[in-house]
Amino acid sequence: MAFSHAIVEKNAFVLIALTFGVLSIGGAVEIIPLFTIHTTVEAVKGVRPYTPLELAGRDIYIREGCYLCHSQQIRSLRDEVERYGHYSLAAESMYDHPFQWGSKRIGPDIARVGGKYSNDWQYAHLKNPQALVPESLMPKFGFLAETKLDYSDIDMKLKVQRLLGTPYTDEDLANAHKDIEAQADPTADATALLKRYPKAVEASGKTGSVTEMDALVAYLQVLGTMVNFADTSEEQLKQ
Amino acid sequence: MDSKKGDLIVGIVTGIFGLVGLILAAGAQDIEIYIFGLSLVGFAALFIFGLVKRFYDEKDVAHGVDGQGGH
Amino acid sequence: MASSAATAMLDDGSVVNKVFYNEAIVRKFVIAAIIWAIIAFCLGTYLASELAFPQLNIAPYFNFGRLRPAHPTAAVFGFGGNVLFATSFYIVQRTSRARLFGGRAWADFVFWAYQLQVANMCISYLLGFSKSQEYAEGEWHLDLWLAVIWLSYMTIFIGTLTRRKEPHIYVANWFFIAYMSMILILHVGRNLCIPISPFRAKSYSLFSGVQDAMIQWWYGHNVVGFFLTAGFLGIMYYFIPKAAGRPVYSYRLSIVHFWSLTFLYVWVGAHHLHWTALPDWTQTLGMAFSIMLWMPSWGGMINGIMTLSGAWDKLRTDPGLRFSVTAVAFYGMSTFEGPLMAVRDVNALSHYTDWTVGHVHSGALGWVMLVSFGALYYLIPALWRKPGMYSTKLMEWHYWLAMTGIMFYIFAMWIAGITQGLMWRAYDSHGFLQYSFVESVAAMHPYYVVRAIGGGLIVTGALMMAYNAFRTITTSDESILWAGRRTAGALAAGE
Repeated sequence: MAFSHAIVEKNAFVLIALTFGVLSIGGAVEIIPLFTIHTTVEAVKGVRPYTPLELAGRDIYIREGCYLCHSQQIRSLRDEVERYGHYSLAAESMYDHPFQWGSKRIGPDIARVGGKYSNDWQYAHLKNPQALVPESLMPKFGFLAETKLDYSDIDMKLKVQRLLGTPYTDEDLANAHKDIEAQADPTADATALLKRYPKAVEASGKTGSVTEMDALVAYLQVLGTMVNFADTSEEQLKQ
Repeated sequence: MDSKKGDLIVGIVTGIFGLVGLILAAGAQDIEIYIFGLSLVGFAALFIFGLVKRFYDEKDVAHGVDGQGGH
Repeated sequence: MASSAATAMLDDGSVVNKVFYNEAIVRKFVIAAIIWAIIAFCLGTYLASELAFPQLNIAPYFNFGRLRPAHPTAAVFGFGGNVLFATSFYIVQRTSRARLFGGRAWADFVFWAYQLQVANMCISYLLGFSKSQEYAEGEWHLDLWLAVIWLSYMTIFIGTLTRRKEPHIYVANWFFIAYMSMILILHVGRNLCIPISPFRAKSYSLFSGVQDAMIQWWYGHNVVGFFLTAGFLGIMYYFIPKAAGRPVYSYRLSIVHFWSLTFLYVWVGAHHLHWTALPDWTQTLGMAFSIMLWMPSWGGMINGIMTLSGAWDKLRTDPGLRFSVTAVAFYGMSTFEGPLMAVRDVNALSHYTDWTVGHVHSGALGWVMLVSFGALYYLIPALWRKPGMYSTKLMEWHYWLAMTGIMFYIFAMWIAGITQGLMWRAYDSHGFLQYSFVESVAAMHPYYVVRAIGGGLIVTGALMMAYNAFRTITTSDESILWAGRRTAGALAAGE
């Protein structure tokens, strides 16, 4: 053997440099092409950035650790497609910083829970899951309905999202607070909001007070609804 | 073998972390940054106090005062 | 003056072969490891109970979703991390015959800063601050603090290696280098994010969707691969030969083991994303490398277990060694199960179910926890200069409680997981899905109860270890002299 392993064993820095080299290969080969191969994210229409209220709701979803029990990723398996709907596309989470695919289903997948239940059902279920589903293991989230949503930071959030590549327009940024109030209150005029954010679902909040529950429900109600699969071709779904 | 200089540098750097903690706690806009900032301040203060204490304890041992140093 | 300098040294380390080791730092990490172990096991048992009896959720701070990240943090980073710090600092000094680099204060800094970090992480999750990236949930400020600690740790470790008086770097240290290097890469790579304000604990990941998912499981699986595997293999390569009084079975095998493990592990994270929106080519790579990884894993297992050749009788007399060797057997078991679950068709059944949870715990409890206990039972008498642990009987009890607990846990999760997987895909004779989701939830109840009982057994065992350690450390049994600190210290102090 021309190469003697003793060289590596006797030189700490050779050992460290070689180790770093060997450790970098796998990650580089699997991760870098995901950014460079443009078909990684399917060319489907309809996926839009979250409304400010949905984004705030998503942050509550993250805060409460919902991802630990609910996946948002329908696999391309027959039973999953039948149970939950069309398998999840990469495009559907392209504005998810970070992704919420999850890894465990203590509760069901909710990638397409949007529109599946009414607002009333969602509010009641979050407050007391066992009242609607007796076997449920879900904790009670009634406190969300009693906590006012603090959206003083929404401008910062949208700015950072835009910095990361989420296509929020100047108009979106300028109207962030108005958009939140318009979406939370079912009696408010939401035409401006819906023009910029199609398919946004109004929450059932009270005028003049936006709760964390309103935000979370607005987020849940949009999940999986953005892509219209009826007019999406096979070609567009190709990865 | 272990220089007192090294301990001094660690003490100073810890002091800087404590200062950063103070700034964070003062400017904090949420409870987490406030707690984190304060915890850094507390950490730095206690850690530096420990270093100073050990320095004098060992000096005392060297001069034969309370020769039973140790745990 | 000379004698006082010696006393100062002795207070801190010990005199072996005229090298002053910093053992005070190792002792601190050992105690911290035991404390975090108990916290982590209690958290785990409580979480398991919440799933068996959801009334135990206490909103908002102790709801499952907020408490859950605190359990792996306390277990992996609190317990596992402190064991790794303790053993790596102990081993690198002994095998290099050199004192820890950087001085006492720096090592102490790493210790206290790390305890603060783990505590801050747990508290922040309960308060609802989380990046939602599994095992990297800490917000940006905690990531920065961990980076400070980690770079300090690596500098101390590598600095000690470069001071070594032995020409060769011992194999345990290779594994420690791989583990700390990879954790550095992973920590930076996974936690790239932009905070919304320097005064708010909220940030958004630099990546999104499918790329973020791949980076997450590159991170997630390699925390298992390097923190919980490579690091603990370092422990195996030192403590099993030490306790058995035999050299490592095959030197060549350890070279092959090391390089193949470090190369192959990094690729396998994609198997967490089978059948998802991750492109097929990446899934296939993840699966193929997972299967290949079986070989180095079993190579390592053979190297560990066969080290006992000619010393098998010690398993009867040394319960500490029994912990270590059982751990290696579990390592073999879960590294066989892992590649199996990484096969796409098996994964179609196992993913999202409790089978995965069981698999993780057969590794985390069976391998990491047991090998840690083996190392701790070796280290405690060695560090406090005692002839042995206070009670061998308690060690025996601990062993069997831990074993029973693990068995309860993994059998319950195997049955639960396979049941879930089968119920989700079951069709009735009319071609409809046979079960609603909630029926699969209801079917889990007995298994979740059994798992919680298993957790309780593990907590009990750990409490026994803590008591045993406490009595060992505080006992004043002078009957057997160690050629160490006590005697030398008394001489130096002029008694």
